[in-house]
Amino acid sequence: MLRTLIAAGLAAAAFAGGPAAAADQGVTDTEILLGSVIPLTGPPALLGVAHTTGVKVAIAEANAAGGVNGRKIRLIMDDDGYIGARTIQATRKLIDVDKVFAIPGQSGSGQVLAAMPVLDKSGIPTIASVGPVKGMYEPPHKNIFAVGSSYEEGIRVLVRFLAEKNPGKTWGLITQDDDYGVAVRDGFDDVVKEKKLNVVYSASYKRGQQDFSSEMARLKDAGVEVFLAGGIISENVAMVKELEKLAIKPVVGIFWPGRVEAVLKLMGPASDGIYAVDYVEPFASPAGQAFLEKAKGLVSEAEFKSINRYTMAGYAGARVLIAAMTRCGRDLTWACTNREIEATKDLETGVMAPMSFGPNVRFTNSKLQVMQADFATLSYKPVK
Amino acid sequence: MRFLAEILLSGLAIGAIYGIIAIGFAVIYKTTGLVNFAQGEIAMIVAYIAWTISTTLSGNVFVVTGGALVAAVLLGLVIERVVMRPMLGEPVFSTVMVTIALAVILRSSINFIWDAYPQALNLGVGRDIVRVGAVGMRTGQIAVIVMLLALLAGFWLFFRYSRYGIAMRAVAGDDRTALLMGISTGRVHAVAWAASAAISGIAGIFFAITYDVSPAMYEIGLKSFPATILGGLDAVIGSGFGGLLIGVAENLAGGYLGSGTKEIAGFAMIIVILMVRPFGLFGQRDIERV
Amino acid sequence: MRSGTYKETYGELIALTDSRLVWFWGAALMVVLAAAPYLVNAYVLSLMTIMLITVVGALGLNILTGYTGLISLGHVGFLVSGAYGYAVVVSRWGLPPLAGFVAAGVVPAALSLVVGAPSLRLRGLYLAITTLAFAFIIDNLILQAGPLTNGARGITVERPDMLGLSFASDAAFSHLCLAAAILTLFGTLNLRRSRIGRALVAIRDNDIAARAMGINLNAYKLLAFVTSAFVTGIAGALYGINLSYVSVEGFPFLLSIEALAILIVGGLGSPLGAILGTIFIMLLPEVTGSLLRLFGTQAEALFSTGAQELKSTLYGLVIILFLRFEPGGLVRIWHDVRRLWVHWPLRF
Repeated sequence: MLRTLIAAGLAAAAFAGGPAAAADQGVTDTEILLGSVIPLTGPPALLGVAHTTGVKVAIAEANAAGGVNGRKIRLIMDDDGYIGARTIQATRKLIDVDKVFAIPGQSGSGQVLAAMPVLDKSGIPTIASVGPVKGMYEPPHKNIFAVGSSYEEGIRVLVRFLAEKNPGKTWGLITQDDDYGVAVRDGFDDVVKEKKLNVVYSASYKRGQQDFSSEMARLKDAGVEVFLAGGIISENVAMVKELEKLAIKPVVGIFWPGRVEAVLKLMGPASDGIYAVDYVEPFASPAGQAFLEKAKGLVSEAEFKSINRYTMAGYAGARVLIAAMTRCGRDLTWACTNREIEATKDLETGVMAPMSFGPNVRFTNSKLQVMQADFATLSYKPVK
Repeated sequence: MRFLAEILLSGLAIGAIYGIIAIGFAVIYKTTGLVNFAQGEIAMIVAYIAWTISTTLSGNVFVVTGGALVAAVLLGLVIERVVMRPMLGEPVFSTVMVTIALAVILRSSINFIWDAYPQALNLGVGRDIVRVGAVGMRTGQIAVIVMLLALLAGFWLFFRYSRYGIAMRAVAGDDRTALLMGISTGRVHAVAWAASAAISGIAGIFFAITYDVSPAMYEIGLKSFPATILGGLDAVIGSGFGGLLIGVAENLAGGYLGSGTKEIAGFAMIIVILMVRPFGLFGQRDIERV
Repeated sequence: MRSGTYKETYGELIALTDSRLVWFWGAALMVVLAAAPYLVNAYVLSLMTIMLITVVGALGLNILTGYTGLISLGHVGFLVSGAYGYAVVVSRWGLPPLAGFVAAGVVPAALSLVVGAPSLRLRGLYLAITTLAFAFIIDNLILQAGPLTNGARGITVERPDMLGLSFASDAAFSHLCLAAAILTLFGTLNLRRSRIGRALVAIRDNDIAARAMGINLNAYKLLAFVTSAFVTGIAGALYGINLSYVSVEGFPFLLSIEALAILIVGGLGSPLGAILGTIFIMLLPEVTGSLLRLFGTQAEALFSTGAQELKSTLYGLVIILFLRFEPGGLVRIWHDVRRLWVHWPLRF
């Protein structure tokens, strides 16, 4: 045992080399190496692959334009399967072994929170564009920048909108039993207090649950007229199809993690008129079409097929990083990049509202818009 | 009253899917003495194959199910021949771990071959809603309950009257004696795996018709464990009824006790049942000699 | 040079080792492991830390599954309850970390009585699936017990300060894990050679015969459950501290499977096997990952998004191949190699 262990130990030591080098690791004369830890396996790959495609679009765009001050960008990815412990490991690996220069987009919300100490300590420029939550930007960390809007704020905007449109109705809510669900519930409760909504049904489900018949039966029994479906993809599909079966038609609102065009097809005609909220443009808008047009020429066919709203989020985040690196000139360092990301002012990406950061502002808090599903064209259209 | 009827009916519908998968578990356990942890994954793969056939070749329900079931049988045979047969004679623990590793492989093959998007399995049937009074059911849900009952009847006849069924019972009872009686254990195992894969495939297709195919679909395997435990791991027919019981119990819990209890109702139930009957409701007590 | 083994007393039979050389190399390894945090980079250090934590958990499971032969698929339930035991006591109640570690052991131990008692009548796979059910129920209880556990929000945990030492740095924390792993290793080794250990193994080999020899099955099975859960709970607390954030999500069912894979690949029932298995299973994804990368970015592009799935496929494949070709596990390979080394050129 001992001999092998020692051998393994020595091998590990040899393989490890010295501690992390200076701040400009990952940059050569011709190349900048970026790396993301993102879920690429299992169901969460739905967001991970799409998000990565967005980052790739931004990178391909920059490389096609001659790179960042003459350096081409290369991206490597590592999978964490949406498990926090692996996010920590993979993030350490990106920083210490692969020696990437920056992280343009990092795994989901709980996962980034788990990797926060690692990111914070290293000082590597990091864009968190998958699931921005409070812990990422409050208190502000000098090198971690959240792109998007918070779950709580998103829900508040959606619920306020629905409440104004449907005054005096009864409400129902179902959320997932994790940090995402908690955020949705918090946002919802804020508006319930503010607008004194009459909530007649409230429940949470276990992540991965597929059958929602008893939940929907109770929802029907309680006489819910406005229903906020806090599932992600298949959960929302199952809930809406169940409502169809039970022959009730409450006003339904869904949230951006589930705002994927494919969902409408799965829900069928019952999806028509569902409300959603998001900070990135719907693909049906001119801006969305322009983005698809741009992406078509820059990524492979398989990657193009993976595109959904997370692609835009990933694209926007990577654009922030690339713009900051460009402003740094040839002397590309972490300190400069962090400074320049902080100095980002009204960056226009075409996929969401102009983004800005500032001293102690580590969150774009992007403008939200409410949209509505149109089953005939399988798309979401902005409502005003 | 309407509420109760809705809860019970949807409980039966999901329970029938658990039941069919539980039959798949029991068929393998009865002949080989191990629990196949890849059962849910096999159901998922077969459903994905059905989806591929329906989107590329033909959406005809008979072509799709026929093709998918042939694929399921082949999958079962390949697994048995390549993975499981070399493990004959190894401790149960090792063979069970092999099925777990197999589950990992099959699970990752989904994203490898297909993608992470949920897809609708549209066969033109099974999605319509039938209403009796105020209570609605999808035709696919009714069909799956009928399917379960048909399978149960079929298995009862098979084990009682068919030569092969009797051979399987013999192998399950004592494989060495069965061997001496001129029964090919290997062939019985192969048939068991093929049958079990096809049965799970049926469950997978029915599940996909109602709930779509997605890479998370394999979890129905996990959720069907309580059914087969409740019925008895070696009780094919008991497992089928176990599924119905678990489905109804889950939905009653979800309907009356509230959220959260639903997903664990089945598991809580088997703990209680096993305290009273350690071999399931219909399982046989082993007699062991030192 | 040694030439064969001759044991003349019972004392020799149950001694930890008959060779001073083993003690020497063992001590040398400890020194290397203790010095390693200052020599390797942060990534290797974190890999080492997680491996040490996993060793504790695997040794814990080994008591129940390896020694006593009771298969548990629900060990992640003990892991998560240990983590919560620590997190609630330390982060929410503000008690000292030492009390947290006590709670991390005692809470799962108490729970193990609840699951162990009804399981006494169950055998084999029935037991396995009951423990699986237990793991699901624990998750649900934690989520329901919001006032105590903070529900789905989870609890943030800091690295501990205890016994006058700070374990805040990565190096210090890895030392804490190393200490836990060494303590557990000696604990389980000594347990194995005590009266209790022999009773547990007798139950594994044939419980009816064991009972005939006067072993109280219920008492010893419960004892195995309690000890195993206690040790696993400690591992859970360390795992939670390493994550810096304890939530149900951080403890997926996969961990139960991984723990069993570790035992099987390492060699069931052997603490050394648990260690070798941990090293193997934890390094496997790393090695397959770097192998894939060896083929270069072209291969990765070829598989496009499938490269990661290929990794898990290889993972499953290696486990199958192991079970198929070396069911005795790594520890058997190690013994064979050692025998070859000592007896070469003779076969035995």
